[in-house]
Amino acid sequence: MIKIPTNVLIVDDEKDFVEMFGLRLEEAGERVHRAYSGKESLDLLAKEYIDVVVLDIKMPGMDGIETLQEIKKRYPIVEVIMLTGHGTIETAVEGMKLGAYEYLLKPADVEEITTKIEGARKRKEEQEERIRKAEQRSLLRKGGNVY
Amino acid sequence: MEKIRVLLVDDEADFRRPIAKRLDRRGFEIHEAGSGEEALDYLEANPIDVVVLDVKMPGLNGIDTMARIKERFQGIEVILLTGHSSTEDGVEGIKQGAFDYLTKPIELTHLAGKINQATEKRRREIEKKREAEFRTKMEQQMVATERLASLGTLSTGIAHEIDNPLAIIKESAGYMRLVLNKDEMSGIPRQKDLSNAVDKIEAAVDRTRRITHQLLGFVRKQEKSFMETDLKALADETLEFLGKEARQNNIEISIEAGGERVIWSNPYEIRQVLINLVTNAIHATPAGGRITIRIEDQGEGVALTVADTGSGIPKENLDKIFEPFFTTKPPGQGTGLGLYVSRGIVGRLGGKMRVDSRVGRGTKIVIELPRCQPPVEGEITDNENICYEILNRIKGEPES
Repeated sequence: MIKIPTNVLIVDDEKDFVEMFGLRLEEAGERVHRAYSGKESLDLLAKEYIDVVVLDIKMPGMDGIETLQEIKKRYPIVEVIMLTGHGTIETAVEGMKLGAYEYLLKPADVEEITTKIEGARKRKEEQEERIRKAEQRSLLRKGGNVY
Repeated sequence: MEKIRVLLVDDEADFRRPIAKRLDRRGFEIHEAGSGEEALDYLEANPIDVVVLDVKMPGLNGIDTMARIKERFQGIEVILLTGHSSTEDGVEGIKQGAFDYLTKPIELTHLAGKINQATEKRRREIEKKREAEFRTKMEQQMVATERLASLGTLSTGIAHEIDNPLAIIKESAGYMRLVLNKDEMSGIPRQKDLSNAVDKIEAAVDRTRRITHQLLGFVRKQEKSFMETDLKALADETLEFLGKEARQNNIEISIEAGGERVIWSNPYEIRQVLINLVTNAIHATPAGGRITIRIEDQGEGVALTVADTGSGIPKENLDKIFEPFFTTKPPGQGTGLGLYVSRGIVGRLGGKMRVDSRVGRGTKIVIELPRCQPPVEGEITDNENICYEILNRIKGEPES
């Protein structure tokens, strides 16, 4: 089975974490993008094709929840996984109510992360599929209309 | 009301007897002695509240007898009887610690009044001492509580801060493992050594993570609100969860539940406490031992007891067991947080936790939880507030 790479964006102000986590995901065959703040992540999303964002909750400036809301507003189809420390579990749960796919407690197991990224990507694909079908249906209905 | 115990000391029996009789009729418990020496011997063996002491006696006189009484027996009040012409004896006696003096011939009502006053003074002194002891104890307790609280704040703060660097360590180790397992690395020398070192790093991260998890009470993810809580059901669940481990160690666990065992509380948190306590009990109990989870109805509250027949806790550890990170297990086996976290939870739920342990006989941990009331239908109230009202009533009673 050939692995289709997932386009992952890691957002965390802890540079060392982003570097190591990124290397690990790349070794596992994913395509990784990196951002060190909420604002930077939005700039990247505007330029790059992203499937799943792995987002740290506690960041200076624009925090994880604000970033999540902004991502969901601009790119509703992109899936977001929240990364949380012990102090922000409640916030992570709140994030799920705001449309995050899932949350993970730091330090997370790599199997756990991989599984959740996989799940997030599947959900995004299904969603894209539904949208495509809906678009086709609406095109067919419009079929008779001459411009 | 206890009778006041009086020792009447005078070398003249003719003088002593009638006074003793009349005091007896007034409801005092009277004992007699014919000399200072005899009085001291009597006091050696019998409890007395007030000594009525003649100053002029052959052998040991009144003042000297009093000096020895004050020296040897604490809290006995002395009333001196002086001859008509020797008031200065009485004054001297008061200087040396007598409660008062009376001049012969004595007025009996007067003497009875003095005895009562002396007893009253003694009672007040005892009370004051008790109060002082109680206050010292309370202060010590408060200091201990505050220390624990600030330690708690500090350690949760540390736990939060540790999450991030821990994640970095974990990711780095994981990445090293990935690289080591690559095909291109298969030929490198000493690959085993490197891989072994990575194992150690990962195991240590997991160990640290266990500590932070426990410290921060992982239940906090769960519902925070109060609800109907069936303690028997929680005990059953705990048994289900830990029964296997107990059976493997050949320990018998049983549940005894009597009376109404449904309370209004937080089942998730109580379950965590039960799991902590029973885990401790299993670790402390040798093969062939017994663990009992007991649930007793106490009217306004419920007592939840976990008792084991294990090794017990040495006296010098009893006041340390609730401190964070105190453990008698080898490094890596126990976090030393189970009891600390449990006690915090019980306090939050308005309960009390106490421990009763004998080395070699076993340990009993008793949790008293308030029953609390569900909110009245249609009334918007904070359950916890209803609970706290009850608690404050309970807390109004002094600690036994």
